[in-house]
Amino acid sequence: MVSETSVRIAAAQLVGNRSRYTTLSGFWMLVWFIVRRNWLRMLVWLVVLAGMIPLVIDSQRELFPTQAAREAYAQVANTPAVAAMTGLPYAAATLGGILNIKLWMTEAVALAFAVIFLVTRNGRAEEENGRTEFLRSTKLGRHAYSLANWAVFGAFSTVVGLACAALAISQGLPPDGSLLMGASFAAVALVFIGVVAIVGQLCQTSRAANGLASIVVAIAYLIRATADVKAKNDQPLWIAWLSPIGWGQQARSFAENLWWPILLCLGVAILLCIIALRLESHRDLGAGMLPARKGRKSFGAFGRTQLGLTLRLQRGPIIGWAIGILVFAAFFGGVATAMVDLLGGNTPVVGVFAGHSGNLLDGLLSYFVMTTAMIVAAFALQVASAIGTEESTGRIEIQLSGAISRIRWAANRLIVPAVISLILLALGGFVLGATFGSVTGIHGQDPKFAAYSTSFWPSVLLVIAVTMFLIAFIPRFASALTWAFYGVVVLLSLLGNLFKLPSWLVENTPFTTVSKLNANLNVAPLVVLSIIAIVLLTCGLLRFKMRDTKSA
Amino acid sequence: MATQLAIDVRKLEKNFGTVKALNGLDLQVETGTICGFLGPNGSGKTTTIRILLGLLRSSGGSAKLLGGDPWNDAVELHRKIAYVAGDVTLWPNLTGGQAIDIICELRGDRDKKRIDEFLQIFDLDPSKKARSYSKGNRQKVGLVATFASRAELFILDEPTSGLDPLMEAVFTDCVSQLSDEGRTVLLSSHIFAEVEKLCDTVTIIRDGRTVESGALSKLRHLQRSTITVSLEGNAKKLAEVKGIQDLQTENGRTSFSVDPDSLSDALAALAPLGPRELVSTPPSLEELFLRHYSTHGQSELKAGEQHG
Repeated sequence: MVSETSVRIAAAQLVGNRSRYTTLSGFWMLVWFIVRRNWLRMLVWLVVLAGMIPLVIDSQRELFPTQAAREAYAQVANTPAVAAMTGLPYAAATLGGILNIKLWMTEAVALAFAVIFLVTRNGRAEEENGRTEFLRSTKLGRHAYSLANWAVFGAFSTVVGLACAALAISQGLPPDGSLLMGASFAAVALVFIGVVAIVGQLCQTSRAANGLASIVVAIAYLIRATADVKAKNDQPLWIAWLSPIGWGQQARSFAENLWWPILLCLGVAILLCIIALRLESHRDLGAGMLPARKGRKSFGAFGRTQLGLTLRLQRGPIIGWAIGILVFAAFFGGVATAMVDLLGGNTPVVGVFAGHSGNLLDGLLSYFVMTTAMIVAAFALQVASAIGTEESTGRIEIQLSGAISRIRWAANRLIVPAVISLILLALGGFVLGATFGSVTGIHGQDPKFAAYSTSFWPSVLLVIAVTMFLIAFIPRFASALTWAFYGVVVLLSLLGNLFKLPSWLVENTPFTTVSKLNANLNVAPLVVLSIIAIVLLTCGLLRFKMRDTKSA
Repeated sequence: MATQLAIDVRKLEKNFGTVKALNGLDLQVETGTICGFLGPNGSGKTTTIRILLGLLRSSGGSAKLLGGDPWNDAVELHRKIAYVAGDVTLWPNLTGGQAIDIICELRGDRDKKRIDEFLQIFDLDPSKKARSYSKGNRQKVGLVATFASRAELFILDEPTSGLDPLMEAVFTDCVSQLSDEGRTVLLSSHIFAEVEKLCDTVTIIRDGRTVESGALSKLRHLQRSTITVSLEGNAKKLAEVKGIQDLQTENGRTSFSVDPDSLSDALAALAPLGPRELVSTPPSLEELFLRHYSTHGQSELKAGEQHG
């Protein structure tokens, strides 16, 4: 390929047609280069995104086996929570329409994020770490790398769309609707390739580029959420047309099957890429159009304390997880009653939720609060793991060479996840109760939910204690082992019954051992959890004090 | 007080599993002096420093630091110690200024005025995020945080890696200043000029063991000097003098090496030969150092590399 390119450059120079070959030469070589560096990532995204389609079609077919069941579902499908989260339902009495309700938003947004991260990884990140400079020092056209980057991931989006369509057709969905659904995923992704193409020109670091592009996705999502909530019948408010995600929705696959919103997406994507090329021509390599953000020269009195430092370093995760947890809690609160109506029959799924309480609604709400608590635990795990990260990056050395004991140092990094998870549990429970109340009209339940949610605090503390324990005793594999522990606990707690595992195991995980909502609060498990947590934490801290620090 | 030892390490041992990283290392640094700590990569310099900082626990031997135990008294000792690593790692999303604040606050002697002073001396922009700093600038962050300190003991582990020559000169000035103020410095370095200029004593280690230590002037004394001279008489007569080696005559200039004990004999033999333009070159630290690097085989050098 190299020789072919050089031959073409030489040929171009001979005939004097220089301009055409100097900006694009090397394009095909770079396409191959990018594919080679990213084929595995693309394959994983493709398998996950396309693989969800048959799985969901299958489960929905089982859930709504008859047309009558689908008609019944269509009557209750349109709740504000569904409209806000996954889009305004339409054609909800067809299997294709149900697929769109359950999966369209997830697929479209996930693919958008996939292309954003991939394009930045091969664009701005390469420029940031200097590899682009190295490549451009050869006979490589100015726009060749960028264009190859956008082209590869444009093609990738198209392939994902086609795979989704093909799998939907293979599951017996109408071909025209399936193709349009796939096309709408790809079309939304193409617009975001255009967005990240421009953002990659504006920002100087890959983090800033990913951040800014993600904000654009979030704004697009919020605009369409507002439009869908404020809908009249099954038509969203006009502002849906301000959001690329809204355009994709307006293709209305499996209903009217409109192709022109796809063309709109295509046109906008091309326009954005042309603008990005213009910007690329007008800036220096390595520079961004926006000035690099300067930080603060020093810390205030609180920022210099260990607690202040930990909060500052974990600011991003804390804000991100808090938003996620509250959104999930609101969603759970909003769908609880609708789900009870749906699950009216005596299916195995009912057993999972109701447990022994017999009251399906209480069981389901307990299940939702428990799930929220598990997300809080994941947050706490991630934040507490920072102890291991500080050690493996070597940053621990410069800190422990200061006048601070290891136990105090570690304790400061454990208090933050412990206290904030308590706040998040209370807030999550409150929001879940509040949305549940607003849907059912049973108000004033929020404090009860908040209190119930905080009864999961010992479970979260146990996860934090396990994290510390593993960092202290098995530093090299701590991160993987802690997440594995968490994963097993979550699977057992959520799906143990479905897998017909012994009930003593399924009902005594750190989360399922907590009493159900509205049942008499059993204090014993909370005490046991707390004692285990304290023992593990003490052993962990003592070991951490006694062992050598490990660093690169 | 003058002879009190700020660092007193005797027969220090450290094992990582079956690998002996330190194998009877000795290191003494008198209060108020600058000690150069030399040795090939992987010889155990950083391991020794990590033990002194209480980050690693010794497997045997003894280590005293400012009269205390580096492991048990770590927190108290660290108020009096300032440390720079050879590869300063920072929080990518904090600015250099914020990192300096944290390091100084942890040591407990944060002094805003001194920090600003050294930011200026090292020409460092504290408002940039650490992820955008070059290697040299990250090193500067560590140096500013260290020199801004009023610590008694400074432990510097290859502190100038990545600095440009101008900044290296600034660094040398700063260390001299510390010495003038009576502070103690342990300087691990590969830069001979730096060590030669700054250090009062030198300890050279190899494979976790001390192979040479003492005042720089005394170490030199043990080594052969090289003498180059223009002679009117016949230089061949010098070959008979005991202690003279490597005798060579080229373009009318005669050169030979001589061990310190035979110097007076050599000079006595030179006088009748009518010497003009005599130049005596003391052994450079580089020669001293390289001699200890290369006395053993390369394979042994590699054995210790994992645990530097």
